[in-house]
Amino acid sequence: MNGTPLIRLADVSKVYHLESGDFTALRHISLEISEGEFVALMGPSGSGKSTMMNQLGILDVPTTGIIHIAGKNVASMTNLERTHMRRDVIGYVFQKFYLIPLLSAYENVEYPLILKYKKRDTSGRAASVLKSVGFDEEMSTHRPNQLSGGQQQRVAIARALVNDPKIILCDEPTGNLDRKTGFQIMDILADLHKKGKTVILVTHDPKIAEYAHRTIQLEDGRVVES
Amino acid sequence: MKDIFFDLSVRSVRLNFLRSLLASIGIVIGVVAISSMGMLGTNMQLMVKDQLTTGINIITVTPDVVRAEPGSSVSSSNGITDIQLRDIRDAAGVNDVIPIDRTNTQFSIGSSDGRGSIYGLDPEDIRTIMNVSEGTTIRGESDAIVGATIASRFDVKIGTRIKIGEPNISVTRPVVRVAGILTASGLSSSNGINTDNAIIVSDTWYSAQFGEGNVYDQVNVYLKEISTLTDVENAIDKKVNRNKEVVRISDSSSRITSVSSTLSSLTTFILAIGSISLLVAATSIFNVMMMSVSERVQEIGILLSIGTETGEVRRMFLYEAFILGIIGAGIGGIMSVIIGYSVVSAMIGNTTYFFLPESIVYIPAGMIIGMIVCIVSGLYPAWKASNMDPIDALRAE
Repeated sequence: MNGTPLIRLADVSKVYHLESGDFTALRHISLEISEGEFVALMGPSGSGKSTMMNQLGILDVPTTGIIHIAGKNVASMTNLERTHMRRDVIGYVFQKFYLIPLLSAYENVEYPLILKYKKRDTSGRAASVLKSVGFDEEMSTHRPNQLSGGQQQRVAIARALVNDPKIILCDEPTGNLDRKTGFQIMDILADLHKKGKTVILVTHDPKIAEYAHRTIQLEDGRVVES
Repeated sequence: MKDIFFDLSVRSVRLNFLRSLLASIGIVIGVVAISSMGMLGTNMQLMVKDQLTTGINIITVTPDVVRAEPGSSVSSSNGITDIQLRDIRDAAGVNDVIPIDRTNTQFSIGSSDGRGSIYGLDPEDIRTIMNVSEGTTIRGESDAIVGATIASRFDVKIGTRIKIGEPNISVTRPVVRVAGILTASGLSSSNGINTDNAIIVSDTWYSAQFGEGNVYDQVNVYLKEISTLTDVENAIDKKVNRNKEVVRISDSSSRITSVSSTLSSLTTFILAIGSISLLVAATSIFNVMMMSVSERVQEIGILLSIGTETGEVRRMFLYEAFILGIIGAGIGGIMSVIIGYSVVSAMIGNTTYFFLPESIVYIPAGMIIGMIVCIVSGLYPAWKASNMDPIDALRAE
């Protein structure tokens, strides 16, 4: 953990302009997350968790304030640079897995490698990452709709990991899984944290949040506990 | 092809195979319409041009219209004189020069009367430029040969006698004996004379009856080499029309130009009709592409959020349009050969020209146009897909 934090938010606000009037999803948030942290982002629905995740995931830019991720100001990047940041620096794990339905389990994991290197993977990295998350190799040619929720989430984690990102962003990763499978997935994430990844997790579930070493509580667009 | 975006497009087409195929059928129809219509027009053009060019090597020299000076009388024998004929022969060089006498008169065959052209030619010249399908050419003084139309309409046989001239109670009309019947020449005659409706007699018999002496109504020059057309025309003009316009020199090249240009605008017209079907095809491709985009909004959201460049998403959808185009153009190309051939043989009745490059080129041309239509139809849907906001796209169900 060096001097500069991996993620730094300074007075970040996000306002959505809706027909019914302006809606402020985030209000003057300042916080820092260092490399190697395991952070849980908690809060009731409507508290701004999703907006926060979109900001951290470089899918969106703040209305005011500055976000630095891996030393770069998100707002001053071009679209293409943001796209490349999403590909190389961040790994996403979603509640609904969001695997590409037309690709097999293996191809879903290989896909980010193709995006990065513009060629099919010949190094065996996709297969080894898939193996490391405990995915059954025999099922690697299956399409996502042929896999169980737990298996899909393993594939999704493998996909998030394959380009060796600094940050793993997990949006309710266990929300669509049964209790037992949920804990298995959390074990994988805890293991990744042990290996040095920065893991940021959005959850409702206090039991899941216990895995994290730091909890950021959001309420009404404000950080109430950090 | 190891491009994953191409793979994704192929899989998407395969997943929605029926829908994709139906959209491609629009392109198939468009390609077939363009190719068959184009080939039909071209085959028609080629055939008509071929028929017209059979008589293109002939220069026709006729006396110019004489304008009478006030006070003077118009010469009664208004024709090409022997002296002018000699000049024409000089100017024509190696080419055959054939003087022709012609009049339009009545004739009687048996009890039926008719009207037609009577041509008087040197029997030697008749042998040179006319083809007898039945009987022989003119040998005796009062022999005649008749055109195919007269022969069939009046049921003329070899040896039939024909009375020539206007009926006149006081005078017995001269009689010729049919020695031969000419082959039908149709629209374009290879000898520059419309002989189907004519009776051809020897020049001596003709002058004896119609008494024009050594004046001819028309002189035809048969060129050995078509490229010398202008040179020979200029030479005749220089020699005969020395002081003033006494003869008119014409050929059928202008007729061919005008008929060809009419036919080519006709081809353009039917091609335009064919293109309408491509317009319809474009709409259906556009529709299918838009469906593909809106069905895959969430997938596009996933692709964009995990770091796919907008250009790559665009490429994926353009590939899809391209694949639809390949399928449509491929099937369309094969069907164009079959349908085009059938249409040409049914409507023109002649497929000699079908496989000529001018005609067959419409198949690749139609295929390429079909592909272009597909890709152009896919541009907007692809652009729309790639410009989605990943957050909104992910949220879509």
